[in-house]
Amino acid sequence: MKSKTVICRCEDVTLEEIEELMEKGYTSMDEIKRITRCGMGQCQGRTCRTLLLAELAKAVKTHPAEIKITTFRPPAKNIKMSVILGGIDNEQNG
Amino acid sequence: MKHAEIAVIGGGPAGLMAALAAAEMGAKVTLVDRNSRLGGQLVKQTHKFFGSEKEYASIRGIDIGRILATEVHKNPNIETMLNSTVVAYYPDDGVLGIEVEEKKWVKMKAERIVVATGASEKYLLFENNDLPGIYGAGAVQTLMNEHGVVPGKNVLMVGAGNIGLIVSYQLMQAGVNVKAIIDAAPSIGGYWVHASKVARLGVPILTSYTVKAAYPNEMTGALERAVIWRVDDRWQPVPGTEKVFNVDVMCIAVGLSPLAELLWQAGCKMMYVPELGGHVPVRNDNMETTVSGIYVAGDVAGVEEASSAMMEGRLAGLSAAKSLGYDDGTYEEKKAEALKELENLRSGPVGGKIRKGLAQLAS
Amino acid sequence: MLATNGIPTAEELAPRIPPAERLKKGPVAIIECFQKIPCNPCSTACKTGAIEKFEDINDLPSVDLEKCTGCGLCISKCPGLAIFVVDETYSEMEAAVSLPFEFLPLPAEGEEVDVLDRSGKTVGRGKVIRVRNGKYEDRTPVVTVAVPKELSMVVRNIRVGGDRR
Repeated sequence: MKSKTVICRCEDVTLEEIEELMEKGYTSMDEIKRITRCGMGQCQGRTCRTLLLAELAKAVKTHPAEIKITTFRPPAKNIKMSVILGGIDNEQNG
Repeated sequence: MKHAEIAVIGGGPAGLMAALAAAEMGAKVTLVDRNSRLGGQLVKQTHKFFGSEKEYASIRGIDIGRILATEVHKNPNIETMLNSTVVAYYPDDGVLGIEVEEKKWVKMKAERIVVATGASEKYLLFENNDLPGIYGAGAVQTLMNEHGVVPGKNVLMVGAGNIGLIVSYQLMQAGVNVKAIIDAAPSIGGYWVHASKVARLGVPILTSYTVKAAYPNEMTGALERAVIWRVDDRWQPVPGTEKVFNVDVMCIAVGLSPLAELLWQAGCKMMYVPELGGHVPVRNDNMETTVSGIYVAGDVAGVEEASSAMMEGRLAGLSAAKSLGYDDGTYEEKKAEALKELENLRSGPVGGKIRKGLAQLAS
Repeated sequence: MLATNGIPTAEELAPRIPPAERLKKGPVAIIECFQKIPCNPCSTACKTGAIEKFEDINDLPSVDLEKCTGCGLCISKCPGLAIFVVDETYSEMEAAVSLPFEFLPLPAEGEEVDVLDRSGKTVGRGKVIRVRNGKYEDRTPVVTVAVPKELSMVVRNIRVGGDRR
C-alpha cells in the first residue's frame, strides 16, 4: 500500500497534491479548494482548514493571519435536500 | 417562523451558563443543541474539575453537566431544542436556519443570539495519518465514556496538554495500556498534577517528540506501528532519534480550534490569535461581537478551560438579557462579579497564554 | 522533572516534605501541588483550618503542620489527586500512606499489594489497612497502605492484583 499524508479526510486530498499545486503557484485557499475540493466535504473543512492554513503560510512565508480564509456559507454541515425541500410543510407542522 | 428573545446556540458549559444567567434576569431563552442531551463535552469529563466553588470545583464534569442541565430543564424561562443543529445565520434578516432531528427545517428569528458552539479538534500531518486506529482524543473519550467501548489495547498519546493527559488517565482506568505520551513542545503543556497522575501509573511522558509516521498491519490495514522522532529547539525533526511503538491506537490531542462558522456567516470581525486556538471573534467586555446582538462564550470565543467558559457564558447571558431591558438592578454587580472571577481564573502563570491572546484581541 | 515528565525531583519535592519532628508526631497531609493553577477545593475541604484560605485562587496550598491532624478529608477533594497523608507513627517498622486510587478492582482491607513510586515503578509490597469509599469520597476512593518506613516518602501509588500491562 502506498503511503500518503492526508490533509482533507472527507475529500481524500493529500499533502503531496497540495504541495504540487503550491509549486505551480496556487497559493490561495480558494484556488486550492476549487481545484481539489479540500474543505468541501462532510465536515466542511473543520479538520483540514487549520492544516491547509499552516501549509499555505509556510509556502508563501507569511503569518497564518495574512492568509485569506474561504467564504463560509450556510449550511455549516451537510443536510439532506429533503430537509429543506419539505421545509414549508415542516414549518407548518413544526 | 419561530421567535425567540435570546437564542443560545450550544448546550455545553458556556451555553448552559448563558441560558441560566439570561433566564435569571427574566429573559425568555431558547437553548438549541445538536445532541440528544445537554452538557456538551461535560458529558464525558469523568475527572473532578479545578477552579473555585463558583465553577463547581472538585465536582466531576459529568456531574456538573447533570446539575446545569437539570437547572435548565426546570427553568420556566428556558425552552430547550435538542437534536437541533443551527447550520445557518442569514445576515440580511438575522434569521437562523436549524436542522431538527435530521428531518425538519426550522427558521428562527432571535432578538439576541449567544453563540456557544465550542471547538473542534486539531489534527496532525504525518505519513499514513488516516489509518484506522488513529483517533482524535475527543473521539476516544466519546467512545469510552459515552459508549463504554475501548479503542484498542496499546495507545500512543500525541499531546501532553490537559486533554492528552486526562484521556491517557481515563484509558488506563479502562484497562488500556498507554505506552507513552509525547509532545513536540519542550515542556508539558497540561497541568503538572495531571502529568503526575499518569506518571505514577508508569506512563512515560516524552517532550520534544513528534510523530514521524504510522504503519499499517499488512493483513488488516489498521495501525500497527508508530514512529516518533525528536524535534530540536526550532521544531525541526532530528534524523537518527527515531523511536518505535507497537500500538494499535494513536490518539491525537494537539489542541482545539474554535467552531466559528456561524460567526463568519454573520460577518463578525474575526482575528487570528494562535494563543486562543485560531480565528476568534473580536468582542467587548459584555462578550458582544462586532455584529450587534450576537454574543459569544466558551471555546468558540477562544479555547480555554471549562471553568472560564462557564464564566464567559454567564457574562454573555447577563449582558444579552440586559440589552433587552431585563435588569432588576443587579446587573452591574453580577457582571462585575463574573468579570472578577474570570480575571482570577486567568491571573496565574498558567493563564499567561490566554492573557496574551486576549490582549492581542483587544488591541 | 515535573515540567518534562511529571515526576518531581528531590529538589522540587523538598519544600513539601514536613520536617522529621513533625512526622514523629503523627499523620500529616503532604500536598504535592507544585504549579500555580486556578484551583482551591483543598482549602475549603479542610475542617481544621490547616490548609490556609487562598488570597488568590492561583496560590499554592500551604499546610499548617500544627493544625493538620492528618484526617485525610482533603485527599479526595483535590481534583489533581495530589494530596497524600503519611503517618510514620503507624508501627515501629511501618508507615501508613493514604492515597487517592480511582481504579478497579479496589483492594480489600488486609490485602497485599504492589507499592509504586512517583514514576510508577514497583518499589515493594504493602498491606492495605483501610479503604474509604463513601459518599464523601465521591468515587475517589482513599486507600491507606502500610509500607516499610523508609518508603513513606516514596510510595505514591499501588497496584492491585499484579502487573497487567
